Amino acid sequence: MLLRGLTLLILMQLLGTAINVLLLPMIPGQVLGMLLLFAWLMIRGEVSAPLNEAASSLLRYLPLLLIPTAVSAVLFIDTISGQMIAVSAALLLSVVLSLLFTGWLMNKLIARQTRQEEQI
Amino acid sequence: MSPDLQAAWQAVIHHPLFGIGITLATYQLALAAYERTRWPFLQPVLVAMLMVIGILYLCDIDVREYLDFTNIFVLLLGPVIVALAVPLYINLRHIRQLWKPVLQTLLIAGVIATLMGSGLAWLFGASEEMQRTLLTKSVTSPFSILLASEVNGIPALAAIFSILTGVIGAMLGPELLRKINVTHPAAVGMAMGLTSHAVGTARALQEGEKCGGFAALGMSLIGVATAVMLPVAVSIIT
Repeated sequence: MLLRGLTLLILMQLLGTAINVLLLPMIPGQVLGMLLLFAWLMIRGEVSAPLNEAASSLLRYLPLLLIPTAVSAVLFIDTISGQMIAVSAALLLSVVLSLLFTGWLMNKLIARQTRQEEQI
Repeated sequence: MSPDLQAAWQAVIHHPLFGIGITLATYQLALAAYERTRWPFLQPVLVAMLMVIGILYLCDIDVREYLDFTNIFVLLLGPVIVALAVPLYINLRHIRQLWKPVLQTLLIAGVIATLMGSGLAWLFGASEEMQRTLLTKSVTSPFSILLASEVNGIPALAAIFSILTGVIGAMLGPELLRKINVTHPAAVGMAMGLTSHAVGTARALQEGEKCGGFAALGMSLIGVATAVMLPVAVSIIT
């Protein structure tokens, strides 16, 4: 079951890679693979059990899979050391501001839609 | 150490499985520590990363050697990205009557969340490479790693920025949103998912099922939208 789902995921990524080379060089193969799988789900109208099992297992272990990439950050210590404060400040401020803006905007848009529906 | 022991020790720490072994072991330790404390800053990835770096340093192993042997993990991030179509498909069905506010918020707030990090980094005098890396911080790590290399940023740092973004959003988000009177669960959820992806979504789930659902939706949407549009935008500009 797990293997069948995993095979489907890899197949989609390989198809995505082919499309990337043939037609759409600007969008990465993995992303095209994801769009293909999404289209396949829309057509099928359901998530099959093997696919669900493979997808949820992979996503559950995602933090584990990220560790080597995170470790490779030590190779860039020299790059970041001089700008640690600038980068941390940018990160912290942008998260807080965009979070507040997103919440405020969505709240406004929901309120507007509710008002419009009441008028009808 | 006797020569025999020395030889055995070297054989162990340079074994092709050593890297995978310490990754699995530190991850489980980090996960146990996280589950005991539930403190967002103890993200298992970050804690395991520090432990692995410590082990490599103590054993005097080159980081590149570790990366060579654990490349299978990096390779599997590809199918993970493909697999993200499943939560996107499932979450899209929850959208129902609020699809218009959701898509409008995605478009406007998504662009702002994407540009604000690099804009501020530029303002504070960070390097151009760092500004490009920060373009990807609002999306979940597998996407941000991929996109950082697409926009000529640093994938390794993109992964860490993404996680830290999630941690900051999860720790401060709900409280700050309450302060500015954003209380609708869909609005809180969208804000958490759109700006702080996976960690933010986990936190939103604690606020309630509807809030968590919209966070998952926001995270899926911004991930896909950024993954498709950012490389296209960059290829048009450059």
